[in-house]
Amino acid sequence: MTLRDYAIRYGFIVLLFGLIAYFAIAADGFVSPQSAVFIFQSVAITGVLALGVTATLVVGGFDLSIGSVATSAMMAAAYVMVVLEQNVVVAVVVCLLIGAIVGLINGWLIVYMRVPDLLATLGMMFLLVGLQRIPTEGRSIATGMTMPDGSVANGKFADAFLALGRHRFDFFIPNLIPVSVVVLIVLAVLIWFFLEYTRFGRMMYAVGSNERAAELAGAPVKAYKIWAYVISGVFASIGGILLAARLGRGDIASGNNLLLDAVAAALIGYAVLGAAKPNAFGTAVGALFVGILLQGLTMMNAPYYTQDFVKGVVLVVALVFTFALSGRGRR
Amino acid sequence: MNITRRLLGKVALGLAGATMLMPGAFAADKPAPFDKPGVKIALVRYLSTGDFFQAYLSGVESQSKALGIDLRVLDSRQDAALQSDMVDQAIALGVQGIIIQHGLTESMKDAAQRAVDAGIKVVAFDVNVENPKIPQVEQSDKDLARLALEQAVKDDGESWNAGYVYVAGIAPLDRRNETWVDVKKKYAGIKEVAMFGTLDNPIANSVANQARSVLQAHPDINVMFAPYDEFAKGVKIAVDEAGLNKKIKIYSADISTSDIAAMRETDSAWAATAATNPAVVGQVSVRALAQLLAGEDPGHSVIVPPTLITQKDLIDKDIKNMEDLSAKLPQFAHADVAMPAWMPNPNAK
Repeated sequence: MTLRDYAIRYGFIVLLFGLIAYFAIAADGFVSPQSAVFIFQSVAITGVLALGVTATLVVGGFDLSIGSVATSAMMAAAYVMVVLEQNVVVAVVVCLLIGAIVGLINGWLIVYMRVPDLLATLGMMFLLVGLQRIPTEGRSIATGMTMPDGSVANGKFADAFLALGRHRFDFFIPNLIPVSVVVLIVLAVLIWFFLEYTRFGRMMYAVGSNERAAELAGAPVKAYKIWAYVISGVFASIGGILLAARLGRGDIASGNNLLLDAVAAALIGYAVLGAAKPNAFGTAVGALFVGILLQGLTMMNAPYYTQDFVKGVVLVVALVFTFALSGRGRR
Repeated sequence: MNITRRLLGKVALGLAGATMLMPGAFAADKPAPFDKPGVKIALVRYLSTGDFFQAYLSGVESQSKALGIDLRVLDSRQDAALQSDMVDQAIALGVQGIIIQHGLTESMKDAAQRAVDAGIKVVAFDVNVENPKIPQVEQSDKDLARLALEQAVKDDGESWNAGYVYVAGIAPLDRRNETWVDVKKKYAGIKEVAMFGTLDNPIANSVANQARSVLQAHPDINVMFAPYDEFAKGVKIAVDEAGLNKKIKIYSADISTSDIAAMRETDSAWAATAATNPAVVGQVSVRALAQLLAGEDPGHSVIVPPTLITQKDLIDKDIKNMEDLSAKLPQFAHADVAMPAWMPNPNAK
């Protein structure tokens, strides 16, 4: 292995540790178990979304609707509990169903209606941003809110649901690890194993690298593609559940920032370990990378625009790593 | 005879229509053109998404209904060029009055002038159109910040370490910031140890992430000043997650039903907020325009005063949502601004 190969393979990891070392010196209180947990918690939601979008990237697609799927799931969870006064199981099931259905529709549009992936999911994004506001005529959902017809919604967020965003497990230190972080780690391991070690996952990579070849080899390409969007939709709705549990209300939001952060994490992931392709481990590291950066910069009182700038720089550098240095971009 | 009978019929019809449109109000009490229903006005909006703007619209609608006004709502959805075109569209519709709600001075100044030139009465809410003929309706952001900070001084004394949430370049936040700067000058003991803030949506979630980092870096913070309720919600999430809810107090501006719930929680860190009722601001906008149309002068600057709402108020008076708040804090439900004797009060029951 030449030095160049080492740079490509481990450059990003080295950068990550360099960053941690820098913040450890520059920002007081950065190195502590709590701080580490904050970082995981702050990236849990975008991380889950990023893992979902990785699945669509693997089959050579893209899903722009994940941000709005997440906020739609959040609104749906709030609507089910606050307005319809249902329990936590119903709320979670409804959210997951929404994610799966949106994924199915996205897949159907792309595979059978032959709408290009970016356009189909863009359309879905707008559709959902509008749809989530229709039941309440554009109001946010909270206990005690007045409905369009004048009645008052008396349901409330179930404690068990809120626990998804607020409960903490003991881990050496009592009350350390929030549920959302556990969800992130479990999903990351699951999707990593699924993509790397199962036949289904490997076939998805095959579809992504050469659709025609995969089809000629007898793979049901259409089914794989649709599944990728269903995975993405379901992951996004899980992100939405975590978001709703953290906020404790149904918040009017487009979710565009969630989308951008998630996509950034997935793209940064290309560069990790010189993979030069979408991969779940890289995505998780990418999300962490962004989280560490933002945590450190905020602790040093850097304003939000500097943070956006730095995020952009990291993304550009990561893309250069992927496409120029590894030389695998020119396929 | 024929003509008279027809005229009589018309008058009767008009009266019937007026009474249907304006329950409890007598058309004859009001000056022209409000002696007849059907005065046409347009609301040209720049911002419309979110609870504040929804409530503002409901206020515009209720006051319009009380005056028998035919209201057209034109919504540019944050498109400055479109908003300016919409003013021209409203002129073409033949409206008698226009309310410009938010927007950019640069794009709206000329459009507003065109409307004035066309003989249309115009009022502007929260956008400075730099026109002496156009009354500016404002919620007083400086007063909002002042009320909240005075309460903080009352609760916590004259020296504390503050975390401050601020994003520069947003007009109302900039005005609130001016007060914060003044207060810091006035009380040497009040120290701003950290400033942060973002408008990445969902805002509360993004601010919560930032606030967590700030609390970690500055464990000496005991007051958070978050002069926008989305900021305050985010800070509250972070404070709760860090288990500091008994140690830190949050002061903010603006209010909504979910804010009320958050303030009412046991041991909630959210101590007080100062707010103007957006529905009242909407009503005042219509009333100022109505005064202009009736030939009266509402004054160049029409300011809607804010109300201080403390956690104690909410719990003592058992206020659970915005309706309770209006019912139990009368100063929140109605502002005696732009209220000549003939003006129907949409809040009167």
